[in-house]
Amino acid sequence: MPEEAIHAEGLVKSFKRTRALRGIDLTVRTGTVLALLGRNGAGKSTAVRILTTLTRPDAGSAIVAGFDVIRSAERVRARIGVTGQGPTVDELLTARQNLVVIGRMFHLSPQQARLRAGQLLEEFGLADAAGRLARTYSGGMRRRLDLAASMIAAPPVMFLDEPTTGLDPVSRAQIWQAIREMVTQSGTSVLLTSQYLEEAEQLADDVTVINDGLVAASGTPRQLRESVGQANVRVVLRDADSSAASRLGALLGPTARIDGRVVTLAAPDGLGSLADVVARLHPMAAEVDDVALQRPSLEEAFTILTAAGPSEDGAQPELAIAGAR
Amino acid sequence: MTMSLTLTGTVREPSGVLQRLAQALGDVRTTTLRYVLRARSQPDVIIGSVLMPVIFVVLFGYVFGSAIHLPGGHYRTYLMSGLFAQTTLFSSSSVAVAVATDMSEGVIDRFRTLPIARSAVLLGRTISTIIVGLPSLAVMITCALIVGWRPEAGVPSAVAGFALLSLFGFAMSWVGALVGMHARSPQAADALSMLPAFVLGFVSNVFVPTAGLPAWLRVVAEWNPLSAVVGAARQMFGIPQGGSAQVWTLEHPVVTTLAMGLVLLVVLIPVTVRRYTRRD
Repeated sequence: MPEEAIHAEGLVKSFKRTRALRGIDLTVRTGTVLALLGRNGAGKSTAVRILTTLTRPDAGSAIVAGFDVIRSAERVRARIGVTGQGPTVDELLTARQNLVVIGRMFHLSPQQARLRAGQLLEEFGLADAAGRLARTYSGGMRRRLDLAASMIAAPPVMFLDEPTTGLDPVSRAQIWQAIREMVTQSGTSVLLTSQYLEEAEQLADDVTVINDGLVAASGTPRQLRESVGQANVRVVLRDADSSAASRLGALLGPTARIDGRVVTLAAPDGLGSLADVVARLHPMAAEVDDVALQRPSLEEAFTILTAAGPSEDGAQPELAIAGAR
Repeated sequence: MTMSLTLTGTVREPSGVLQRLAQALGDVRTTTLRYVLRARSQPDVIIGSVLMPVIFVVLFGYVFGSAIHLPGGHYRTYLMSGLFAQTTLFSSSSVAVAVATDMSEGVIDRFRTLPIARSAVLLGRTISTIIVGLPSLAVMITCALIVGWRPEAGVPSAVAGFALLSLFGFAMSWVGALVGMHARSPQAADALSMLPAFVLGFVSNVFVPTAGLPAWLRVVAEWNPLSAVVGAARQMFGIPQGGSAQVWTLEHPVVTTLAMGLVLLVVLIPVTVRRYTRRD
């Protein structure tokens, strides 16, 4: 297995009126999860369609699971699992039939396909409903069946296109758990697209944000968060008492910002800064209601990164990310 | 998931033409099985397709047929041969709607990411249409026997006749697949395929001999390809044609039907499969 499960360079794709992709690079390291984030219409689906052999790029190249998506599409197809928002499970088949049929399409023997189907139904908590038509399944069950179907031949590379969109929180957590197990136990590499930043936070080793057909930023979720701002320690007083606030300000030093009963202080050392503040608060402990470390959220990073479109000359508004690989 | 680990390295890659062919045939078997399984879980649709021919027999054989006098023959046996041929047209319509539905729901995209032979999905769809149509054919033959239709030219000839009709029906289902690939929606596919099926089905010799039609319409009806198929069925079943043919295709209906079926398949299968594999 090569070191990179997916490597794409300079992907360009235009449709009749729109330039969906204007030259993007993507890398998924083997055995890791990359979350591809972007607003609707940013080019996520076009990128996934190219990488899953459905669409031919106008320019650029992509290697998936060791093979070129244009020249060796068949070999790529034999090595990827694809699951998405679409109705990929057949509603008129039972769960078991769905899995066996997809397994046979991956050229497992009938015995292998049945064996794998049984295993996956068990793992995904669908064994009791295995003989029911998928039509009778809830949204969460269908999504789990879909995920199971794309894993039937244990492909080394998986594409999960918005795997939990529209699901309730419990079903979402189940899918997340299944994805984590797949990655840790089988060493599967995953490209995930999502509208939920929490999903990226939960699952992804790396994040690539695309905006208007270009890569706006890439790095670990942490690097992305930190690219838009620093962590803060936020101290909340019990009462809105201005004398208490100014005493607290004096304790914490001149950089503290006072706003009513909330006092905020930059936390360059993260948890170290928090511990430092807690230690200094000791004399006023009785007057303090809450102390917390506040990190900028991926949400904020995403909002900032995707707010402005790139300039018309096509220059990438790339944020410099300290320590980005 | 110990199994996954052992499976990961076992991507089966065919080497050589024979292995590729064997794998492709396996893919067609799998997709056909899928469509047959689907049909089995929709008994209402199967019942509908079985009842349809019965309704046709009653409606045309007894309601309209009561006012139709066929010189030198028995109208209901004449009609039955026509109805057998007409059903081949409707397979085209059902495939068109089904393929358009698959296209609009993204099922086709899903299949396109699977490592199966490029022709497997459409072949599975069209072959399964014949298999799923077998119960209705059985019902229709039973009806035909009840109303007095007999394989007058012998059972082997009748079996060959049904084989010929199946070939033509298979070709028509590829017409449907092509229409379904190009239609903008399942509704459009339905309209696009039903209209020609209706015109071809009725402006023909299915229900009445063409000899009684106004001269201009008679030309259309006799050159109608379906009329040749009906003629072939009557010839193989040993049923009188109800008048002499004036055009070459009706004088040689069996050859014409065979040729039309084969030419349609040779042209349509590659064209439709290419459309299916095209990456936009």
